[in-house]
Amino acid sequence: MRPSHQARTHRAASPWLFLLPGLAVIAVFDLYPFLTTVWHSFTDARTLLPGHWVGLRNFQDMLHDDQFWTALRNSTLYVALVVPCTVLLPLLLALLVQPRIRFVGFFRAAFYTPVLASVVVVALIWNWMLDDRGLVNGILHALGAGPVPFLGDGWLLLFSAMALTVWKGLGYYMVIYLAALANVPRELHEAASVDGAGAVRRFLSVTVPSVRSTMVLVGALSSVAAFKVFSEVFLMAGPTGGPAGADTTLVMLVERTGTGLSGRVGYASALSLVVFVITLALMLLVLRAGRGEDAP
Amino acid sequence: MTRVWGRVLRYVVLLAVLVITVGPFLWQLSTSLKGRTEDIYTFPPRLLPRHPTLGNYKGVADIVPVWSYALNSLTVAVANVVTNLVGASLAGYALARLRFRGRGAATLAFVLALLVPLESIVIAQLTLMRQLGLNNTLIAVVLPGCVGAMNVLLMRDAFGHLPYETEEAAVIDGAGVWQRFARISLPSVKGTLAVVAVFSFMGSWDDFLWPLIVLSDSSKFTLTVGLNYLHGTFSSNQRLVAAGTVIAVAPLVVMFACLQRYFFRGVAEGSVKG
Amino acid sequence: MPISRGTRSHKAVGAALPLFLAAAALTACGGNADGGSSADGKVAGDISFQTWNLRANYKDYFNGLIARFEKEYPDTKVRWIDQPADHYADKLSADAAGGTLPDVVNVSPDLAYPLAKAGVLVNLDKEPASTKYKDEYTPEAWQANEMPGLNGGYAFPWYLNTGPLFYNRALFAQAGLDPDKPPRTYDELFADANTMARHSGGRVATLAATPAIEDFGRYGVRLMNADATEFTYNEPRGVELLTRYKQLYDNGALDAQALTNGPEESGQKFLEQKVAMNPGSAHDLSNFKENAPTLYKNLGIADAPNNTGHPNMYVMGLGINNGSRHKPAAIAFAYFVTDRQNQESVAHKVAIFPSTRGSLDEPYWTKDDGTDEGRVRVAAAKILKGAVNYTPVVMSDEMKTVLQNQVALALQGRKSPKQALDDAVARGDELLKQG
Repeated sequence: MRPSHQARTHRAASPWLFLLPGLAVIAVFDLYPFLTTVWHSFTDARTLLPGHWVGLRNFQDMLHDDQFWTALRNSTLYVALVVPCTVLLPLLLALLVQPRIRFVGFFRAAFYTPVLASVVVVALIWNWMLDDRGLVNGILHALGAGPVPFLGDGWLLLFSAMALTVWKGLGYYMVIYLAALANVPRELHEAASVDGAGAVRRFLSVTVPSVRSTMVLVGALSSVAAFKVFSEVFLMAGPTGGPAGADTTLVMLVERTGTGLSGRVGYASALSLVVFVITLALMLLVLRAGRGEDAP
Repeated sequence: MTRVWGRVLRYVVLLAVLVITVGPFLWQLSTSLKGRTEDIYTFPPRLLPRHPTLGNYKGVADIVPVWSYALNSLTVAVANVVTNLVGASLAGYALARLRFRGRGAATLAFVLALLVPLESIVIAQLTLMRQLGLNNTLIAVVLPGCVGAMNVLLMRDAFGHLPYETEEAAVIDGAGVWQRFARISLPSVKGTLAVVAVFSFMGSWDDFLWPLIVLSDSSKFTLTVGLNYLHGTFSSNQRLVAAGTVIAVAPLVVMFACLQRYFFRGVAEGSVKG
Repeated sequence: MPISRGTRSHKAVGAALPLFLAAAALTACGGNADGGSSADGKVAGDISFQTWNLRANYKDYFNGLIARFEKEYPDTKVRWIDQPADHYADKLSADAAGGTLPDVVNVSPDLAYPLAKAGVLVNLDKEPASTKYKDEYTPEAWQANEMPGLNGGYAFPWYLNTGPLFYNRALFAQAGLDPDKPPRTYDELFADANTMARHSGGRVATLAATPAIEDFGRYGVRLMNADATEFTYNEPRGVELLTRYKQLYDNGALDAQALTNGPEESGQKFLEQKVAMNPGSAHDLSNFKENAPTLYKNLGIADAPNNTGHPNMYVMGLGINNGSRHKPAAIAFAYFVTDRQNQESVAHKVAIFPSTRGSLDEPYWTKDDGTDEGRVRVAAAKILKGAVNYTPVVMSDEMKTVLQNQVALALQGRKSPKQALDDAVARGDELLKQG
């Protein structure tokens, strides 16, 4: 393109040319297929059998489905407990490995390993460690504490799965923070240091404001991910969601009702739609909360 | 004095986190190196194999054509990295730096795409691929994820952090929007580009469900799908499974170990100094 | 994959897929109604044959089998596809909905039922080309693929499996039980389990899994009404079984993690010698030998108890795609794979059992050759005579989960066994009606 000598900085069509590949892909492969889900949520379709229009019946059924309320509670708890950890801990970790000290490259890379491995592998290892006679209980036993039923108790299972989510996300969000921290002018920190500002105050008054928009982004991404949690709980608590299904999450319920050769596609689609609407609301909430000082 | 203690404390914390993050993988590695005669289920568990052997790795290669599956995975992953770098940086730039009508709607479209529960649309995607005549090809494996909404939003965040002054100077010099994108903005977000590259590579490498659904021909399988053959119908050998997981993770670790200098340097220095 | 020790936990990532199938299925079925050719024609054409996770270890066997078939029918060509362990049902539903189901597919009865109901599989009792082979299989095996309300069998019976109860002799001895006298009845089983728990101070459980539908069946509980439209496992006998399990759980005789253990975890606990008994099958032996040599030295083998005179078995079959363009060739091939000679030859290679009439009377399955494998093989073959597949084919995974969760509530003491089973039956019936 020839340099433009006009006052405006780009031609009217340019933005859309930039957006074309990305928009085309998500429109064709994400948004359009999702419309089918919306349609199915008003039918009683089965995996291999076509459905009939049933209006709002799937949504009414949900209100009387105990499993739905359990799942809604679990997914909400997941957001409430996991998101603060995934926003804060990776930031602290990023600060820990930000300075150029010896071996820091090694540590950064090592902390990233859990992100590299697939969640299936990771969950297998965790299951082994948290077993009644596993490594963690072995250590507890040596310290004189009785075995903790991490994998037998409904609540402990849910908390263990949360810990796994946080653990696996540490390196992932750490990297996003490192990229953002690189934008914080070093002089700011050093100036604060000369002032004798304590580490905590420095963190609150310099670091946090300067990575605020990234914290909001991480918060938004991890709330969506936490609300849609599936693999960690599925793998640790089992496909039926722990003792008596007490650990079922919403997406697990979608999987349970909608898959297999006799899946209730209509009902599962309605559940998907609920998940979609709640995550959308969550995301907007987090973004709005962070908007205040977001502008550069 | 406090400086020294601060440093010691920092290393202590670093080592603790190291044990927590890497320890579990060493266990898997250890299991994969244990020979046939060694009981892998004793209690208390033994971390160091008594007679380390590479036999299990050979066993995996006998069952699964590891090399050709790895090549398929590599092809898909590299293609995924390239398309994501190009597509996400273009879209991210437009969303962050260009003013135009419909920008809000376009941003929303990417946010919505991020929220779509992927599991619920796999079959519709398969039907699409069949209509396009692409099912059972590696192209079909790449297409749905070739521009990830998440990556677009990450690039938007990165471009949004760039100071406007540099670009304004270029506008005055008469640089067009494509030149400003390619010559000024893009080099300034190397860090996030590296992040997007690694994320897309991993996402593609670890993906299981979609390649399984869209590929029928076992010669086209990717590594994660192919390694699933290790869970035998008639018996599962934990040592082989462990060796298989090591084979699946090792290329990522090696790649990451080689690239991590550039990756983190990019992450730390890529952005324009404030 | 009913034979496997479950790869449940690997089902893992991303599962909720076939949400779009219904619309696609509509078109697929429409096409199938008149798309398939008659089954009486000439055995010719290219057909595809899909197995479930057999390529890794039995590649040469299948290539040889296919070569022999193609030699016998020179106008045919068979393309063999093998699917990995996980997500097989999802792969099947995607293909069934999209009209790309292979001509001959490896299915278990619970997979065959929804496919048959959607009109995707050939009713073998209605095709002269296939009915003529019916008598070559054992009646129990053929019946396992007969679908309630669909008038006929929908898959050629292929291999069968069943298994004894394995037990850990060392753990039995430690608890003061005679390792040479394993429990033979439910009464003995429950009594031994309680003794074991008492002696080990609750550290060693005897069983690792909560009762599933087939356990109710073996206990003699009537699972469904005659036309398979309502569940009946909440009858007094069912409540009795659950009450006894509740006592086991309270005594520590049922593993503390039983409420969440799947087959894979249960097997694992037995391997790790944390649990004293576990149901298994002949091919577990090599697994024990290789992965847990200390356990293998102490391995005992007992018959799984039942109150009905009919042990439980699992059945694998081969279904024919109703939309196949070369049905005669597909049927000929499915029969070829499952005929007596080929079933017996594959069963000599793998520790599974043929479903063809008379096969189990062969010396290979009746004469103990002195090895552990031989012992288990002969014991299992004996069990298989008269064994039935207890799991009702109409019981979807979701209905099984309902039962499992209600059982868990009863074991936790949050509901009485009676209440739990009543609730499970009510919910199961509700789901059944929607289907």
